[in-house]
Order: sequence, then C-alpha cells, then structure tokens
Amino acid sequence: MRIGVFVCQCGTNIAATVDTEAVAEAAMSMRDVYHAESIQYSCSDPGQRQVIAAAHQHRLDRVVIAACSPRMHETTFQRAVIQAGINPFMLEMVNIREQCSWIHEDREVATTKAIDLVAAGVARVRGQVPLKRGRVPVVGEALVVGGGIAGIQAALDIADAGMPVTLVEREPTIGGNMARLDKTFPTLDCSSCILTPRMVELKHHENIRLMVSSEVTAVRGYIGNFEVDIRKKATCVDEEKCTGCRICEEKCPSRAPDEFNAGVGESKAISIAFPQAVPLVAALRKEHCRQFIKGKCGVCKKVCPADAVDYEQEDELHTEKFGAIIVATGYRLFDWEGAYPDYGGGLYPDVITSLQYERMLSASGPTGGHIVRPSDGREPRDIVFLSCVGSRAESVGRPFCCNVGCMYIAKQAIQTREHLPDSRCYVFYMDVRACGKGYEEVYRRAQVEAGAVYLRGRVGKIYPRGDKLVVMGTDTLIGDQVEIETDLVVLAVGFAAAEGAGELARRLNIAYDGYQFFTESHPKLRPVETTTGGIFLAGACQGPKDIPASVAQASAAAAKAIRLLSREDLETSPMVAEVNHMRCIGCFKCAEVCPYNAIEKQKLHDGRTVAVIIESLCQGCGLCNVACPPQVISLRGYTDNQLISEVVEVLR
Amino acid sequence: MIEAAKTIRAGEEMLAEIERRSGQDVSSCYQCGTCSSTCTATLAFDYPPHLFMRLLQLGLVERALASRTAQMCYDCMTCSSRCPVGIDVADVIETTKNIADESGRSRPPKEVALFRRLFLRNVCRHGRLHEAGLLAWYNIKSGQFFNDLSLVPLVLRKKKVHLVPPRIRQRRELRRIFRQAKTKPGAK
Ligand SMILES: Cc1cc2nc3c(=O)[nH]c(=O)nc-3n(C[C@H](O)[C@H](O)[C@H](O)COP(=O)(O)OP(=O)(O)OC[C@H]3O[C@@H](n4cnc5c(N)ncnc54)[C@H](O)[C@@H]3O)c2cc1C
Ligand code: SF4
Ligand code: SF4
Repeated sequence: MRIGVFVCQCGTNIAATVDTEAVAEAAMSMRDVYHAESIQYSCSDPGQRQVIAAAHQHRLDRVVIAACSPRMHETTFQRAVIQAGINPFMLEMVNIREQCSWIHEDREVATTKAIDLVAAGVARVRGQVPLKRGRVPVVGEALVVGGGIAGIQAALDIADAGMPVTLVEREPTIGGNMARLDKTFPTLDCSSCILTPRMVELKHHENIRLMVSSEVTAVRGYIGNFEVDIRKKATCVDEEKCTGCRICEEKCPSRAPDEFNAGVGESKAISIAFPQAVPLVAALRKEHCRQFIKGKCGVCKKVCPADAVDYEQEDELHTEKFGAIIVATGYRLFDWEGAYPDYGGGLYPDVITSLQYERMLSASGPTGGHIVRPSDGREPRDIVFLSCVGSRAESVGRPFCCNVGCMYIAKQAIQTREHLPDSRCYVFYMDVRACGKGYEEVYRRAQVEAGAVYLRGRVGKIYPRGDKLVVMGTDTLIGDQVEIETDLVVLAVGFAAAEGAGELARRLNIAYDGYQFFTESHPKLRPVETTTGGIFLAGACQGPKDIPASVAQASAAAAKAIRLLSREDLETSPMVAEVNHMRCIGCFKCAEVCPYNAIEKQKLHDGRTVAVIIESLCQGCGLCNVACPPQVISLRGYTDNQLISEVVEVLR
Repeated sequence: MIEAAKTIRAGEEMLAEIERRSGQDVSSCYQCGTCSSTCTATLAFDYPPHLFMRLLQLGLVERALASRTAQMCYDCMTCSSRCPVGIDVADVIETTKNIADESGRSRPPKEVALFRRLFLRNVCRHGRLHEAGLLAWYNIKSGQFFNDLSLVPLVLRKKKVHLVPPRIRQRRELRRIFRQAKTKPGAK
C-alpha cells in the first residue's frame, strides 16, 4: 500500500491560515504514506500534472488531496488519478478550506486541525477498495408539473426534441397566471395573443399528454427512473364529450367564487374559467354545487347537449414512470389582508390587488375591460398604486422583492391612461426596479407620457372619507407628508409560493426555502437543477420572476431534461449497501426503512431467507446500514471500519 | 402636508404654461440631483434646483413662483449642461421667474433688481460686460461704497478686470436689439 498526500495552498485561500508545508511534512510520517507535498493550485492543469507525475514516480496506489470541498473538485481529481492508472474511488478528498482555513484565524490551531483531518483521510483511504460503477437504463419520458407559461414552454421544448412528455396541471385549464394578464411588459403586447397559440399547440402536440385537474400524490425512484402517482380529480364532466358550449354554466343556479378573475365578479358551480381555456372543457366544483350540497338540482346534466355531465364520476389514479421531472408550479399572491390592517385589511371594496386590476383591464374580463370602482361601479378619476405590499417588509415576514411589481405598475399606469384619458395615477414606491431589457423605457413612459406621478415613500394608512379613500403617505424627495384623496387604490402585492408547494417538495424530496420557493442546487452555476438528480425547476416556483425569465429558465430546464432523457443508461454510484449473507438473520428491518425499495428477499441453498440489495436501485443513503440489528450491512466506500478508523485518528 | 391630488390639479395650468414657454418637460425629471450637486448658487436658494423641479412636479407652482431660487438664479447654466435627461433646468427656473415678475407675484430683492438693471445697461453701452464699471456703479447706486474694495488691487494685478471698457463694432445694432426687446411683453 503506497499513499500519496497532496496539500493544496489554493493561492492564499488555504496557505494564509494553514501551514501547508508543515501539513505535508507531518503527512510523511503517517503510516503507508510514501509521498507528500504542498501544491499552489492543485486543481489547475499544472497542479493536476504534478499529482499524476508524483503518482507515477512513487508508484502510488492511493491518493489523498487536502484542498476544498469534494463538491467542488472531486470529479476533477478522480479524472486525474484515473490518468495515473489508479481506480477513482481510491481517492480521498480532505476539506481543509471550507472546514478549516476559512473558518479559523489562528494559524497554529488551523495547521494542527488540518494535520488531524489529513490523518483521518489517510486512515479512511487505507481501508478503501477499488470500486466499479454500474449502469441503469433511463426511462425516456418527462413529467412536467404545473401548466403556467414555464411548464408549457418546458413541455413544448422537450416534445419538440422528440421525447414524450406528460404535463400535470392542478386546475381544469393550463395557462396559469399569465392567462389572467391583459397586456405584458416590456412590450405591452396582449398576453392571450402570445399565450393562447402555445396552449393550443401543447394540446395538439403528438408527444404531449395533458392531464388537467390532476395532482402528483407520490414520487418514488431516482434520476432516470421515477415512479409517480397521479390523481385525476373528478370534475363530473367527460372531457372527451364536452364541447365547451358553456350552456351548463349559463343555466347553473349555484353561484361560486370566481378564482380565475381573482374575485372580481362571480362564477358558477359548473364553469369554464375563460374563453380561451385549454382544454375547453367545463368542470364542476362539488363544494358549491346544489346537486351535491342539497342532493337535488341536475340542471347541467339536463341541459348538456353532449351528455357530458356525470355526477358519478370518480377520481382516477395513475402510476407512471418518468426519467426526468420539471417542476413549474408558479406562484400566488401573498395573503395581504391579515398583514395590512392599516390598508383596511380587505374591508374597503375600492382597495384591490394588482391582479384584480389586471382582470378589470382585460377586455374578456368580468368588467369587459372597464375600470370601475367595485363599490359603486363608477369610473375612477384618481388611482393610487402602492408598491411593495408584502414585499421588502421584514415586519410581515416578506423581506424579498417581488421582481415584477415596479414593472407591472408602470404597465398598468400606461394602460390606465389609455382606458381613462382624464384619470391620473399616483405611484408610491421605495425604489423603482426596472433592470430588464427595455424595462427602464416602460417606467419612463409611465412617468413622462402617461403622466403618472411617482412619490417616493411607503403609505402609512388608508381610510375612507365619504365615498373616497384617503391615502396617507410621504414623499421623501420633497421631504413632506403627502395625502391623496382618491377613488381607487391598487396594491402591488408580493409573491408567495403556490398553495401546497412545501408538501409537493417533500413528495419530490427537493429542498425549499422558508417561503416554500424551491431551492436551486447552486444559485449561480446550477440555477435550474434541484439537489435531487433528475428534477429541475422552471418559473416562479423557484422565486419571483417575470415571463421572460420564467420562459428562459423553462427552456434551460428542458435542455437539462433532454440531455438526461437522450441517454440510454446512466452510471450509478458504486457506493451502495452490501449485505453479509453469512450473518444476515432475515429480519428485514432494512427493507422497512429503505426509501428506494432496493432490498429484496432471497432464498439461499441452505434454506435461509436473506436480504439482497438491488444495486441499480440503491442510492447509498445508509439507512439500512444503521437499522440492521446484527450490523451486517455496510456501505461500500463508507464501511464501519473506515469510519471508525477516521474517528480514531481525529481523537488521537 | 401636501394634498397631492389637489395641488397637482391646481397647478396644472401654470405648469403647462412654464413647460410651453421653456420648451421643457418637467415630468421627465427623475430627481437624480445632478443639477443641485453642481449648482453654483444654492447658498442663495431656498430650494436647490432638483427640489425646485419637484415643487413643479407636485403642482406646488405658487411655492416655486415665490421662491428665492427663482429670483436668485443667475443663469450660469451649469445645471442645464449636466442634467442627464437633457432638461434645460435654468430655463425652467428663468421662465418661472419671468412669470413671477409679470404677474407681480414676487418681486426681486432691491439689490437684485438694481444689479440686473445696471448689468443690462452696462452691456447695452459697451457691447460686452465692463466689470469695473458695473462694480463702481453698483457700489455707488446701492450706497455700499466700500463693498469688495479690498479686492481691487488683486483683480487688477491678475488682469481679471480692466479699467478701460471693451469696445465692439456695430454698437448701434446692439442698441436696436435692446430697444426691440423692451417692447416684448413682460420686459421692463
Ligand atoms: C398583476 C401581475 C401582473 C404581471 N404582469 C406581467 C407582465 O406584464 N410581464 C411579465 O413578464 N410578467 C408579469 N407578471 C408575472 C407573471 O405572472 C409570471 O412571471 C408568470 O406567470 C410565471 O409563470 P409560471 O409558469 O412560473 O407560474 P404560474 O403562471 O403561476 O403557473 C403555475 C401553474 O402551476 C399550477 N400548479 C401549481 N401547483 C401545482 C401542483 N401542485 N400540481 C399541478 N399544478 C400546479 C398552477 O395551477 C398554474 O397553472 C405579472 C404578475 C402579476 C401578479
Ligand atoms: S419589484 Fe418593485 S414593487 Fe415589487 S417588491 Fe421589488 S421594488 Fe417592490
Ligand atoms: S439634473 Fe435633471 S433629472 Fe436630475 S434632478 Fe436635476 S433636473 Fe431632474
């Protein structure tokens, strides 16, 4: 056994606090170490060549690199040792940067600690054996969860690359929040004019299967081989038969809240959300339906000319296999009412959200494109916009920026001037964030052309005076309080993750932040990957985003998924569990804890039934290793002996 | 406290007049403050130029008309040359001052009016400013005979000021320009 130790200086990152020469010298006296040296930048090309040369010269068969986290450079050095003719798993990385030099100030202490860590690494690599990777086939189909613009884009990209895609959308129609918008910044083109063609294309794409009113209920498996349970909720309407004539909606006597229109106007218990819905199929909401509440009605069933209504319809359960998953579940608005009693907390009808305003601006919306006060239906003359409601406010637990508020306020101010030429918009803002391409121009247009008056400050209070509202704010530019008696107040409410996002993340086993936005694997370098292989993110589910950014991320996620799906098989990690069959007592505690169903029963010639690991399924999580009562399961590359000898070295 | 909807509506007409006469768009000012950071006269102002613009934006035109800023700005044009939007800030201030003078809303302080009169007379007579003459006349007319007298040897030595007045050709033409200007509305 001949071990080589290479201590990286990482420029001054490590060398400033750790005496790398001293560490190398100490390593020379460790058991089986035949060579040790300090290298300036071991990950650089010359650095790697130095490692390879030393391995040849000293006939090394094991290598310890004391440098940064293995997450940074393990594959780099595995490649290097392969070139030196050494099995890549005979390499051990010791982290003396993130876990040593960066967190200590005292050079002596840090150097001693680095020596201890290297000693532990040497002890571990001494117990290492050469390992070989296995291979598993990849299921060539993708799952996209969420049918907003991000999910639509991702599904189309993958399908256009010739791979089958299933898109699962929770609502009866795809389109998401973009379908609710009237026009879109920065170009102010009509939202449905650019969105609807994509929705239709998706519906008719030969490689796409669309499942609406459906949700993912369970996910098993791993990259390349996911097994997903999907529940298709009963909508009491046969999707195949419904022609979208909306006669049922017209005749239905049960009123229901209009979620698509953000509560502006009312809907019916059976309805189609909007005229361009895809699929154009009615859906019945049992919780509002007289037939289900009172047990009698049946109007929709009677009037349906296509005989598509079926009160007996039941939820369908599907289990499907996928190679890759893209999550695109988007966002909803923050529940502002409870957090802002000073703005009326939802009690003043003429204080509305930006999404409600958006629905009013829409020609196909509940007011037919007329801006009116919800209280009395009159046209407003003065309209006050408040930015950052539930954004950039620690006090309500929402410290982050919504990313789009500034821009859609500018957009809505411009549109307001077009709809009501005699009106004036006032915008209270803290900063105007208009960083995208063409965005500043929209903001300036709102000010200069649309005459919107921007006032720098937050609003402290809104209260009614007669049939008007008084907005009490400030303008820090002039340095005085500002009060505006106005007809309508529009709140640019911040973003929150979609309902149930945290629960979905737990099912998918992906990470999420304190606001239930899903977490990318690296904020700069792996912005669409999750920490779970084979699962990617697109759109506002990862954090507040506008349409251009959502679409760009969706295409990026699709590219990652295509890269994965186009492979026939994947290399698996050889660091999997192993059962010592001689000593297995057949209790199968291991099978109970294994999250990947990777443990099988096998009958041996001597009549005993023992546990066997299916290597292609095992992910090396180590749960069985811990659960096994006679302790006969071990993890390759992480055997109990290796770990114990590491600990012994550190404690010595 | 500013009742913004009311002030803006009330000031709308006057602001339109200022914008028309100056040819500047007051709403395009984004309050960066460049004008104020380079202004050479803010020590004499009640509102630095950017705040002057802000008054107009919020419809507080009466405040702008009555301001010292309008009266004390001496049109050095530094603000106008540096405004990143390209607004001729000095022109906006000057126009506001003119409207204030015309409507009698505000009068320049006595010394300012005197200085302006003497300045114009001086230019009209010589075709170019004769600083020594202006200084002398100003001190005599304002009764502050010894004002800045201690500086005289220095500025003479450095040749900043000449005792002999400058001369230009075609002074008669110049006088005609001045005569014509006096017939314009608001001119005195
Ligand atoms: C008032 C307002 C105006 C705006 N104006 C503009 C603009 O002019 N220009 C612009 O670029 N951006 C604008 N935006 C931002 C824009 O709405 C978003 O960028 C965009 O909608 C994000 O798309 P998405 O697909 O990521 O999410 P979403 O549109 O939210 O779509 C997510 C989809 O996933 C579905 N879903 C959620 N959870 C599940 C689940 N568990 N299972 C299955 N399906 C699920 C939802 O039903 C939805 O259909 C505006 C936003 C607001 C609030
Ligand atoms: S985008 Fe604008 S409105 Fe939204 S939080 Fe950021 S600064 Fe506030
Ligand atoms: S420099 Fe121009 S844009 Fe900036 S504050 Fe002054 S007038 Fe406004």
